[in-house]
Amino acid sequence: MRNGNSEDIGRFIEPGRIHRRVYVDPDLFELEMERLFGRAWLFVGHASQVRDPGDFVTAELGRQPVIMMRHRDGKVHVLFNRCTHRGAKVANERCGRAARLTCLYHGWTFDTDGALVGVPIPEGCAAGFRKEEFGLARVPRTGEYRGFVFASLAASGASFEDHIGPIKSNIDDLVDRAPDGELAFDLGMHRYIFGGNWKLQVENVLDSYHVPFSHASTVNKDGVQFARREGDKAGAKVVEAGKTDAAPSTAQSWKGRRSYIVGNGHGWTSNTALDEGKRSSPVFDEYRRVLVEKVGAERARHILTPRLHNTLIYPNVSIMGLNIHVRVIKPLAVDRTEITVYPVRLVGAPDAMNFANIRLLNVTHSAGSFVQTDDIEAFIRTQKGLQSRATDWVDISRGLGAEEPDRDLNATRGSAMHEMVVRAQYKAWLGYMREAA
Amino acid sequence: MDGATAPVERTQASELDRSILEAFVFREARLLDERRFRDWMALFAEDGTYWVPAIADQQSPFNQVSLFYDDRELMKTRVDRLEHPRIHIQTPASRTAHLVGNLVIDRADVAGGEYVVSSIVIMVEYRDDNQRIFAGRQTHLLRQGADGVQIVQKRVDLINCDSAFEAMAVPI
Repeated sequence: MRNGNSEDIGRFIEPGRIHRRVYVDPDLFELEMERLFGRAWLFVGHASQVRDPGDFVTAELGRQPVIMMRHRDGKVHVLFNRCTHRGAKVANERCGRAARLTCLYHGWTFDTDGALVGVPIPEGCAAGFRKEEFGLARVPRTGEYRGFVFASLAASGASFEDHIGPIKSNIDDLVDRAPDGELAFDLGMHRYIFGGNWKLQVENVLDSYHVPFSHASTVNKDGVQFARREGDKAGAKVVEAGKTDAAPSTAQSWKGRRSYIVGNGHGWTSNTALDEGKRSSPVFDEYRRVLVEKVGAERARHILTPRLHNTLIYPNVSIMGLNIHVRVIKPLAVDRTEITVYPVRLVGAPDAMNFANIRLLNVTHSAGSFVQTDDIEAFIRTQKGLQSRATDWVDISRGLGAEEPDRDLNATRGSAMHEMVVRAQYKAWLGYMREAA
Repeated sequence: MDGATAPVERTQASELDRSILEAFVFREARLLDERRFRDWMALFAEDGTYWVPAIADQQSPFNQVSLFYDDRELMKTRVDRLEHPRIHIQTPASRTAHLVGNLVIDRADVAGGEYVVSSIVIMVEYRDDNQRIFAGRQTHLLRQGADGVQIVQKRVDLINCDSAFEAMAVPI
């Protein structure tokens, strides 16, 4: 499998079904690291995390450690976090600020753009040694849209614009909610980890079908979920009243949700039906007032009218419109995945509004939350279940053939109770996996 | 220190106070181990909060995320869910054992009936063939009133507060 040719890989994906090995085969995971994570545009971080020169954050692209750092000239570089001498990581903290990065091992020192500026005992260097050739390697390609920094480990391939273009308006949808039109990732982060394949999380973010069942414990006897947004008195109705216990029945309003795909594996689900007219609280009303003051009443009304529940920017980042946050998916092994959940500060919004968003994110998507924990249990049980060879196939056929064009949105749409979005993810997966890197 | 000017009798807990407070903290841990979550919630004052910071020395729950920051409203949603028959992350349920030790009364306002009690907590959790350990310092801000002792805030500073966690369903 390490040298899997395109025919071999193609055998794992059929219309409406996926082979179990896609989730459990360690060799296929290695191939994903090389061909998919080694090539795709991956979310690295947000420019606000490195606001000033010398600020850095560390991350992994696939499994490769990188540093995102702002140089003196204001430019953000994504550098491999590996000393060019003997290979030690030069930045060990998750974030920090440094005028120079010095390797702990032999003291080689690098500038904030990666240039090698110091080698102790220089008279020991070999005759032809040139410092210029030993700067921290830069990730081949980087791109930024409204502060969201992406990088590709491949020197060639689809351009950043080709990749991000179709999903830009979903980033706008979140960023525009800030009265000052920008986000700051400075409210900390939730991190959770689970014993399952990374694609289980990727598939889940756009899955509306599971909610009444996986999240049964979050709805009351009327089938209504707890309030997840500031200003709401209650959450969405997901289960028909009176059918919340033994055999839940999906609520009519929930069945009406849609999902959308726009190529490249990207997609989103439509908003959760909540009573927008009744959304009100002193904190929310003050936020709305500030937004209206900045952008005008009509524009504010448009911004505050929910259109999106969750957006996936394939393969490693999702944006949630309901409990606003950005989630990054990091594969660790074929059966182990780490997730980082960043709350976003709406720059220009009252502190109380940003706190309200944090407070609710704590109970929706943290490791100790009411919602995410049941998803994690589903991922773990799926990973275990897929060890079974009773059948080799995972079914993703719901709504196959029922997709239809949405010309207004320049997208393809289907019912969110279907699995069109999952099929689109595997189309993109196959695109990466078929070609040798 | 200008502590010398403060009346000593107002700032020092008696042995009796200490034994009452210690018994209270032990009982709180036991309610969690016995999964009596509603009784546990009843220990909190109406304005009480349960806080598990997500970073070391976290100054505030308002400008950074927390592993838990429940006021009574969120605590009720949490407890309702813990009692729900189809909470998958608790099927099977966790079994826990809390060990509370090194208890110190950090601050006592005897006249006002407010105490800050600090202790080390170790919670071992077993569920679904896996056993794991949480450890850290817990700080109880307790209020003694007509209804007995109530928790104004329980704060648990885990030593690994900023690590990536497997799902956590029960309070620490």
